[in-house]
Amino acid sequence: MKIPKQAKRKAKALFKEVHANGLLDENRLVQAVQLTSQRKPRGYLAILTHLEHLVKLDVENRTARIESATPLDGQVEAAVKEKLARHYGPGLHTSFHVNAALLGGLRIRVGSDVYDGTVAGRLKQLEDELAQ
Amino acid sequence: MTNVLETIEAQIAGVKASTAKQNVGTVREIGDGVAKVEGLTDAMLNEMLDFGNNVTGLALNLEETEVGAIILGDYTGVKEGQEVRTTGKLLQVPVGKGLLGRVVNTLGQPVDGKGPIKSDTAYPVEKIAPGIIRRKSVSQPVQTGIMPIDAMIPIGRGQRELIIGDRSTGKTTICIDTIINQARMNKEAETKGDKEYRPLYTIYVAVGQKQSNIANTVRVLEEQGAMPYTIIVAAAAAESATNQYLAPFAGCAMGEWFMDNGMDALIIYDDLSKHAVAYRQVSLVLKRPSGREAYPGDVFYLHSRLLERAARLGEKYGNGSLTALPIIETQLGDVSAYIPTNVISITDGQIYLETDLFYQGVRPAISVGLSVSRVGSAAQIKGMKQVAGRIKGDLAQFRELAAFAQFGSDLDAATQAKIERGKRIVEIFKQQQYQPIPVELQVAVLWAAQNGYFDDVPVERVKEVQAKLGEYVTTRKPDMMARIAKEKALNDALTNELKAAVTEFKGTLGKLTESKPAAK
Repeated sequence: MKIPKQAKRKAKALFKEVHANGLLDENRLVQAVQLTSQRKPRGYLAILTHLEHLVKLDVENRTARIESATPLDGQVEAAVKEKLARHYGPGLHTSFHVNAALLGGLRIRVGSDVYDGTVAGRLKQLEDELAQ
Repeated sequence: MTNVLETIEAQIAGVKASTAKQNVGTVREIGDGVAKVEGLTDAMLNEMLDFGNNVTGLALNLEETEVGAIILGDYTGVKEGQEVRTTGKLLQVPVGKGLLGRVVNTLGQPVDGKGPIKSDTAYPVEKIAPGIIRRKSVSQPVQTGIMPIDAMIPIGRGQRELIIGDRSTGKTTICIDTIINQARMNKEAETKGDKEYRPLYTIYVAVGQKQSNIANTVRVLEEQGAMPYTIIVAAAAAESATNQYLAPFAGCAMGEWFMDNGMDALIIYDDLSKHAVAYRQVSLVLKRPSGREAYPGDVFYLHSRLLERAARLGEKYGNGSLTALPIIETQLGDVSAYIPTNVISITDGQIYLETDLFYQGVRPAISVGLSVSRVGSAAQIKGMKQVAGRIKGDLAQFRELAAFAQFGSDLDAATQAKIERGKRIVEIFKQQQYQPIPVELQVAVLWAAQNGYFDDVPVERVKEVQAKLGEYVTTRKPDMMARIAKEKALNDALTNELKAAVTEFKGTLGKLTESKPAAK
């Protein structure tokens, strides 16, 4: 779907309005979406589509995906959560996943930042270095 | 074996400590060599992006939520949803003398099948041009070996001289002749062990040309022995618009290395019309706003930032230089089109080639009236200034009088003489391709023409007499020619010697000059 510039501008304005204290307010967001759907302003579908895209990116930026080869114990999980919260500020959601292909270590992705400390990642890096 | 193990151990040790932060994104859209990547929040403008599988991209559009990147090389393997990483590096190409004699692509990779390139230095493709403080005015000549250019439109080291004309008017030939002449002079200086001579290395950038044309250029340069002093950067018509857009910048980086290291280089952009078209394609696919003739708004800046990188540096900064000869192809002689006017205004002069002259047999088909070198005679040797100072004016006068004479009116003797002299000078300036003339010979021939030694030669035999004179002075008077080349000026003694030599030569001609054209 091609989103016109005007719709993008309106979606962006709406996106700003649904923030409170620098964080996305879910209630306000739901309210805004409902009102827009009811009032149906010009190009409302495009506005909502772009708003969804902006929210998706915001959620991604506020979500830390932590992958490890084996399940982490509670202490390590808490330590990781605390360090990430200190670095990225409040409102960060964390989700822990097990991925055996990583062989060992942790891979953390927050938005477009990736911290790769896994054995698989290091082996890949070594492979690249030797290939050069 | 121990060495191999040590190398592997060192590599492993190097890798161990690195849990580096990476910035990644996801391909949202890919097509026509351009990818839209979501994420990549830390991407820099012109940063190289790693698409995996040895595919590299270049970040050109930094938008609010995504990055527009052009793919260098084969983009057919890139898929939607694929992960992309920033590299923290700007696009770089290998530079150095190891590239001389090679044909490379936009990324500096060899395409001539002669094995890997020996180079341990890389230069960024995009670089800010040298500033005011580092520059010096142009004062040393680039001898093209093409008589009308060296005599009337002299090019200096560090100058930007545009070569403009319609298709098939000899634009590339002028450049190839110039390359061949540089190679001849470089070789001559090497043989003589002349330490004072500053060799001029050449970079030929082929943009959007047919592969067969590039192959032909390489063949000619190899046959003429010019390849050891030349680098060819090829971005043929079959390559992506991205590669064609970046090729001149890559070639310029290779030339800058010579300049920064106190050497002289000459770069030929063949041609910037196709370069602008490639940039237009990239810009349109990147959805940048288009302007006149659908070119993006920064098409002027594209060429100005490229050509500004040609410079002559001061002694304090190594005394190197980079001369640029951009080529522009016009449509039906229209020099007032968008891209031609842009490049005319950027460069320090232009050599305008006319189709009519070309088909009249005046080759190189240089239009004397429209061609100019804004650096002027500062880049000419004194000897050439002495003999060619008035030629441009004389030729302009000749053209005016010749047009007037067509009405068939009676002309006075002085006008008649001017027309006859003009006809002979036009003949003298005709030159075969791939046969550059040494500057000392140009000086001798022009001196003879200016002093009336060709006046009694029939116009149709001027070329023959010129060739014989050239042969005579180079074989019988090599010392005199060597002195002209060394002293670069005609003093009284040399002038007398030249006079005696030309008179002696005329004596050997016999019947040749007897059929003097009858004055009307």
